[in-house]
Amino acid sequence: MKMHARVNGSPFVAEVPATSSLLEVLRGAGLTGTKEGCRIGVCGVCTVLVDNRPVSSCLYLAGCADGADIWTVEGMAEHAPSVVDAFVECEGMQCGICTPGQIVAVASMGPDVRDERDVRHYLSGNLCRCTGYGTIVEAALDAQARRRDEVAPA
Amino acid sequence: MTESSGDAAFLVPGTVEAAVEALGAAGAVALAGGTSIGLMVGQGLLAPSVLVWLGRIPELSVLEEEDGGMSIGATTTLAALAAHPRVRATVPALADAAASVGNTRVRAVATIGGAVGHADPRQDLPPALLALDARVEVAGRRGRRRLAIDELIDGFMSTVLDPDEVITAVRVPLVVGRRSCYLRYTPGSADDYPTVAAAATADVADGVPTAVRLAIGGAGPAAYLVPEAEELRGVPEGRWASATAEVAESAARRADPVDDRLGSAAYKRRMVAVWARRVLERCLGAEGALP
Amino acid sequence: MTLAWPRVAGPRVDARDKATGATRYSADVEPEGALHAAVVRSTVPHAEVLAVDASAALAIRGVTAVVTAQDLERRFGDELCGRRVRDMPLLARDKVRFSGEGIAVVLATTRQVAEDAAALVVVEYRELTPVLDALAALGPGSPRVHEAPWRYDGAVVDQSHPPNLQSELVEGDPVAVDEVLGRAAHVVTRTYRTPSGHQGYLEPQCWTASPRPGGRVALLGTVKAPYRLREQTAKTLGLALEAVEIDPVPLGGDFGGKGGVVDPTLCAALALWANRPVRLALRAGEDMSATDARHPSVVEVSVGCDADGALLALRVDAVFDGGAYAAVKPIPSANLHGMAECALGYRLEAFSVRSAIAYTTTLPKGHMRAPGAPQAAFAIESALDELASAAGVSPVELRRRSVLSGGDRDAYGHVWDEARGAETLDAALEAADAAPRPEDRERPGRRRPVPSGWRRGRGVALYARPTAPPATTSLRLAPGDDGRLVVELPFPETGTGSHSVVRDELAAALGVDPENVEVRQVSTGLLPYDPGVGASRVTVGLTAAVHQLASRWWESGGTEAVTVETGSGTDRPALSYCAQVADVAVDPETGQVLVSSVVTAADVASVLRPRSHRMQIDGGTVMGYGFACLEDLLERDGQVWAPNLAELRLPTAADVPSLRTVLVEGGRGVGPANVKAVGELTNVPTAAAIANAVAEATGRRVRQLPLTAERVFWALHGETGGETGDEARDEARGEARNVARGVARGEEGPA
Repeated sequence: MKMHARVNGSPFVAEVPATSSLLEVLRGAGLTGTKEGCRIGVCGVCTVLVDNRPVSSCLYLAGCADGADIWTVEGMAEHAPSVVDAFVECEGMQCGICTPGQIVAVASMGPDVRDERDVRHYLSGNLCRCTGYGTIVEAALDAQARRRDEVAPA
Repeated sequence: MTESSGDAAFLVPGTVEAAVEALGAAGAVALAGGTSIGLMVGQGLLAPSVLVWLGRIPELSVLEEEDGGMSIGATTTLAALAAHPRVRATVPALADAAASVGNTRVRAVATIGGAVGHADPRQDLPPALLALDARVEVAGRRGRRRLAIDELIDGFMSTVLDPDEVITAVRVPLVVGRRSCYLRYTPGSADDYPTVAAAATADVADGVPTAVRLAIGGAGPAAYLVPEAEELRGVPEGRWASATAEVAESAARRADPVDDRLGSAAYKRRMVAVWARRVLERCLGAEGALP
Repeated sequence: MTLAWPRVAGPRVDARDKATGATRYSADVEPEGALHAAVVRSTVPHAEVLAVDASAALAIRGVTAVVTAQDLERRFGDELCGRRVRDMPLLARDKVRFSGEGIAVVLATTRQVAEDAAALVVVEYRELTPVLDALAALGPGSPRVHEAPWRYDGAVVDQSHPPNLQSELVEGDPVAVDEVLGRAAHVVTRTYRTPSGHQGYLEPQCWTASPRPGGRVALLGTVKAPYRLREQTAKTLGLALEAVEIDPVPLGGDFGGKGGVVDPTLCAALALWANRPVRLALRAGEDMSATDARHPSVVEVSVGCDADGALLALRVDAVFDGGAYAAVKPIPSANLHGMAECALGYRLEAFSVRSAIAYTTTLPKGHMRAPGAPQAAFAIESALDELASAAGVSPVELRRRSVLSGGDRDAYGHVWDEARGAETLDAALEAADAAPRPEDRERPGRRRPVPSGWRRGRGVALYARPTAPPATTSLRLAPGDDGRLVVELPFPETGTGSHSVVRDELAAALGVDPENVEVRQVSTGLLPYDPGVGASRVTVGLTAAVHQLASRWWESGGTEAVTVETGSGTDRPALSYCAQVADVAVDPETGQVLVSSVVTAADVASVLRPRSHRMQIDGGTVMGYGFACLEDLLERDGQVWAPNLAELRLPTAADVPSLRTVLVEGGRGVGPANVKAVGELTNVPTAAAIANAVAEATGRRVRQLPLTAERVFWALHGETGGETGDEARDEARGEARNVARGVARGEEGPA
């Protein structure tokens, strides 16, 4: 099939099997920031946004992504700069393999995700084997606070 | 030379009728959120010749209250269900079950229709919907029909649906004052499948139950109803403790669990008794010891 | 000259690239025209391979070849592969010894085609009796996994050993232990078990090899020890060392699992064989069921104290399941350093440690964060609580009386000028006491507080770890473009922040802005040597090297490139204690264990990057929590039953206990930066602290990990009077000791 979409704000066209995963399509197009992890939707390293929803791109079929607005970690500096900054400044990473998924997941958080428990529940599907999660949760809370401030400046 | 993995046709019908038509083709498989189908295709467990995506059919995404019930379109996502103010207020067991499935990414796209039609005995929605006495609305070439959850699911990952049939909605009765609870027991990771799960509904008038339903998940090839829960009808509060314990033992007797990573069959049976009692206590308004 | 070491805490060198997806990992590299390799793996644990029929695979469009062991032997000879003991073939020759072992490789133009075709290769087996239990494997009458393991290059066993012995390690004096325990007021002897586990890195292993002119080959992939991989690959393929180059790339997690054994060398062989670039990328499930895992253990501990609760003697007899090949273990003994050091934390009149590793027909076992130490600490620190109970003293008091202080001689005879056991223990307890009571606290990811009716318990455990003198490494500093300085490193960034430490420390030593220092890992051809990342040695070694590099730079005028190669340091080693206090609540009706908090006190010297240091502590504790409560690869019947992350549950952000850390500051570290090891520290005592807390809460002792709700439930409700169900079924009590003793005497174990 010919898949038409927007990826990171730009038009995107790819000739791919409809049953290929969005992960394969993106990585095949050179967008290797999105990582292949468990390939069964558990670890979260392949998280991308499809029409503003966080999905496991390893499970998401190309056919379902046709016509969608897709954002990957490569677009986060534009789409959610405060999230990227928060992860850099809070050192919310070690090896970095889960980082793209963590950042995209945090970028998809609504304003209802406010406190530590909300964040931990929301991110429970984004595994990290390095950090023990403390700095990731801090980065997420920091990002949420920055975004609240952006929406409603003091 | 032979080819490697073949490509499936990917159809995106705009109406239920078109979906039914498309599903008439040999080897056709319907998908909605795609979390299970995507997994199975990705792992090579399923090689459909035609995929029929239900994600662009407006009729399937409607969630509305009608007399005495709530009609939930089959492609309503679990995230939407869990966050819906009326669902939370009127059928909290359903909201809690939907909020428990998988992780954030699964809930963002997985649908109520898929969660029921997949018929996985470890899934959260079937026991909750069974306790809520929900009906699944189905459309096919033979027309439309309504099935109870335990009519729809006839075994381990198996339903009575014909290949051309598609789930269009799940209808949940709304009864004023009806309480509902869903508890899942995940002693390891909260993101895991439940070792066992229990759901209950109760109508209580003047401190006396007038209707009680109990359903159990994770402890057999499919979620099952525990008819002995009806014996709680008319039982005064002073006897709830012993009566719920008896019903819980009946629930355990009806269990048909398997040994797996989540626990031995013997342990799961014991846990059915504990969680059946706890969900009944909570639903009837008694305090229970819950994590 | 004296260098100042101010503590710098700017962003990590790799932060922005990692946060924008720009960092390229092994799987992100795909050379033009590369062939994709998919390995045909054994589905049975032990069998002769009678025939491999690749005809259906070869008929698939895009398949260029199906390569077998014989093809590789014809080209490269019959050298076996291994990091120390060279006992593993690149592909199985005639015989498979574990389910998952490579038998053939499909090369194809795409990964999908290669994988599809690999599934079509038909292997005909004649099945042999599998060897699945480590204790039985070392006993008489067990089928042999290898015919003559003492003949392997690098073998650490000889013909007098049981034929399924991979390696043994003996420390201390068992006769003296018998004598001292004979006069102890209280002695307990208990057996503890731990399961197989995966390191849990989220980046599956991936390799790309490219042929170079002159029969050379360049290899890039998930390896933490490039120079050792170069050596191993050259030796196995019969190449000169210079003919193999390992190119730089960061790692997406390691934790001991990316030492690199057959897969990278196989990938290099395939590229030379095909004379084309070859990419061998494992799927996550394949990585978890066909690379290497943590050693399962059966550990018997005997420990005694006097009437006042002062420890007298400790005996540890361990039998580990080493799986089908010893090839994965890198240290000279091919054993586990955590076992060698396991008696370090206490004053003892006598001790004895025996560690026997058995060959079985299961997944080869390798290293995982502080190899051997978590297993040993779970056993020893649990047994100490059982001894305290027998002696009628508190577990804390028992430990406090016997931990090492400055000037004490440890059980091995070393006198430590600084040892802060009591200070570290007390710091952890003080912090745990100062926190809100557990019943008032919720776990961070949980909605509801711990309910009434649950039983609460607190457990303590200790671990003592030496920081060795700096190991050999090398660095190069050169002027870069735009007046920047480029420092070249021989090892990958595994995530710990080591490259940022180099930048910070070098900038501080040279008095330049860290922004003006670029850190770059380079190919093995460009620097002399490095032993690889691991064993908590990186920061010590590289800060020593940075110190020399900065001095050399100034001496040479600061304009020309300089290279330093440090030898092994002669600094005094340092000792770090880690004390953990776990608070748990147990639902007596279900056995569910909620670990509400883990307080860690870590004995530290200087801390270079506080957040990176903290993540080593937190990440270690969470890994310890996973080992304690969740993780089990479920190796049964020679198969891995939890070969993916849906089955092998790793702790999530919502699952983890509330973590608090106290740093016991002011310690004396090692090297010019005055540091103590932290990477392999906090993951070690966690399981025992939690098990001890569960025992306090329930009055029942579970001696097998993970501490699942079901195990706790049967301990409470079983018909065995409080022994765990597992132990009730265990008719082999004392067997670990007998087997380990028999091995140490050069005998086969008991019938």
